[in-house]
Amino acid sequence: MSRFNLYQDEFHPSPWRQTWREFKRSHVAMAGVVVLAIFAFIAFFGPLISPYDPTLQNTDALLVPPSWDASGTVRYVMGTDALGRDLFSRLIHGAQVTFGTSVMLVLIAMLVGVAIGVMAGMSNGTRASVINHLLDALMVIPTLLLAIIIVAILGTGLVNSMWAITLALIPHFVHHTRNTVRELMNKEYILAARLDGASKTHIFVHSLLPNMIEMLVVQWTIALSVAILDITALGFLNLGAQGSTIELGAILADSVNVVYIAPWNIALPGLTIFAMVFAVNVVGDGLRAALNRRLRH
Amino acid sequence: MTKILLRYLNLLVLTLLVVIVFSFTLGYLFPGDVYTNLTGLESKAEALRYLKVDSDAGFFSLFIAYFSNTLVGQWGVSSITGEPLFSEVLLSLPATLELGFYALLLAVVVGLPCGFFAGLKPQRSLDMSILGASAVMYSFPVFWLAMVFILIFSLNLEWLPMSGRVDLLLNVPTVSGFIFVDILLADNIDKGHAFVDALKHLALPTLSVSIITMATLIRAVRRSTLDVMRKPYIIAAQSRGLSSAQIFLKHGMRNALLPILPIMAMQVTTLITNVMIVESLFSWPGMGHWLLQAIYQQDYPAIRTGLLAVAGAVIVLTIIIEVLSRLVDPSREKFDRVAV
Repeated sequence: MSRFNLYQDEFHPSPWRQTWREFKRSHVAMAGVVVLAIFAFIAFFGPLISPYDPTLQNTDALLVPPSWDASGTVRYVMGTDALGRDLFSRLIHGAQVTFGTSVMLVLIAMLVGVAIGVMAGMSNGTRASVINHLLDALMVIPTLLLAIIIVAILGTGLVNSMWAITLALIPHFVHHTRNTVRELMNKEYILAARLDGASKTHIFVHSLLPNMIEMLVVQWTIALSVAILDITALGFLNLGAQGSTIELGAILADSVNVVYIAPWNIALPGLTIFAMVFAVNVVGDGLRAALNRRLRH
Repeated sequence: MTKILLRYLNLLVLTLLVVIVFSFTLGYLFPGDVYTNLTGLESKAEALRYLKVDSDAGFFSLFIAYFSNTLVGQWGVSSITGEPLFSEVLLSLPATLELGFYALLLAVVVGLPCGFFAGLKPQRSLDMSILGASAVMYSFPVFWLAMVFILIFSLNLEWLPMSGRVDLLLNVPTVSGFIFVDILLADNIDKGHAFVDALKHLALPTLSVSIITMATLIRAVRRSTLDVMRKPYIIAAQSRGLSSAQIFLKHGMRNALLPILPIMAMQVTTLITNVMIVESLFSWPGMGHWLLQAIYQQDYPAIRTGLLAVAGAVIVLTIIIEVLSRLVDPSREKFDRVAV
């Protein structure tokens, strides 16, 4: 039995599906997704694929060049560092720590930031102005300075540098959430919900959040690239990951002394960080472009 | 206008106050004695004399004393060198600001034209290459970039020096803290030679800092040019028969530049962070270098002072840029919330 069709399309794609369709049109963005998927795989299964223990020191193989070099050996694909540790294994473990912690701390920063931002956006008067001034003051402290202060209070370590970066990222989320909430609160459907007697929580969950989620995803990718750069910078300056914790920035810091005789020890960790950040940025850009195109249709 | 300026003044004072309160609480949070952390003096009696309070002073009166000391530049002494911290900050803060200023200048000089070219012909090969280049530039870890520059230009090619601001043999006396001003003020040195030398020292740090800011700027300018060139008044200008150069110079460029200033104001913090990181690599005697030495030596009073100086500088710079953007752009909402 044939059904009566009012519309040509039987099926209306959801907003997410539309965005995904627009996103897929950009090949560069898809390549970024693949690279991110590889890093995510490394973050979960890294120790299984690394050929050596990253802390194992082989004194017979100090500063072996990478395998593509004439004097390199295939036993150490990416060469070894000044203590004879396999660089490939160290990069895998480092990428695991750097990528994993960055994702975690951006999630924490987003949760806290959105909560404060919604409070600041939905309230007005003294409470909003106190929150705003405190956040302004937090926003003018550069990340490095905040990290130095937190390290001075709590001591060095990966977790402490994570706190510093989380604290520095929170105002970023608060700022965008507050502006979006302010904008949305003037819409008619919010007014309708309020006239129907909806509580603030109800308005937030059913009216604000669905309209904010796309902005949050885009902001999340921006914050993720900032977080990766910051966490490696702190590791490099010996304020973050220490000693046995292998982190990409700390690997770079270990190799500074051999930069002239073994440049691959600097080049490869740096390129790994670069690939990670570049993939995140490309995916973020693609997402933003896809959202813009969808909204224009 | 007066009202807006007053609001910004209010913002400036309040944010500075919050920063001072924060630096005061650091005295309690840092390891060690509160009085030592607030003044840098080992003995409690000396610290109390420095703060001009009695030994039984409570939290609040201690803050008042600290606050008035901070306002008159009595920021305590370094617990390592024993020098007054205020004068140490006066020596290193100009170096940071100088590096940041030249990096910003380079970013603007390169970034604006690139952004305009990309935005005027969207989706063409020029736009695509500029956009791609800015995406690549935006993803570089700044410390790694600085290290690669040192490796290539200082160690392998030996073109440029890798540390400091000027050759120490030139013996340029420090007067203002800004190297070019100091060279101009100095007597009996070869000024031309000193200028070239200072420029050589400046080249690599400036380049490494400005790359990220440049990328941000290119993207912002491209976006806003794209938006502006779609506006009805551009179509009206086209229908009046203006050439595309006239349209761009008279209507496009100026309107496209308006949203850039607030974006630059947001970038000041990132810029200063990058300057501080790069300083430590090039041994540039600025705040970043100074603060990292302080944390490695656990000089807590110096870190407290660093917070005051750097956050203060960022606040003042941001508010200056914001006020400028209000002045050139009257279309911004009058009652838009002022924010740092």
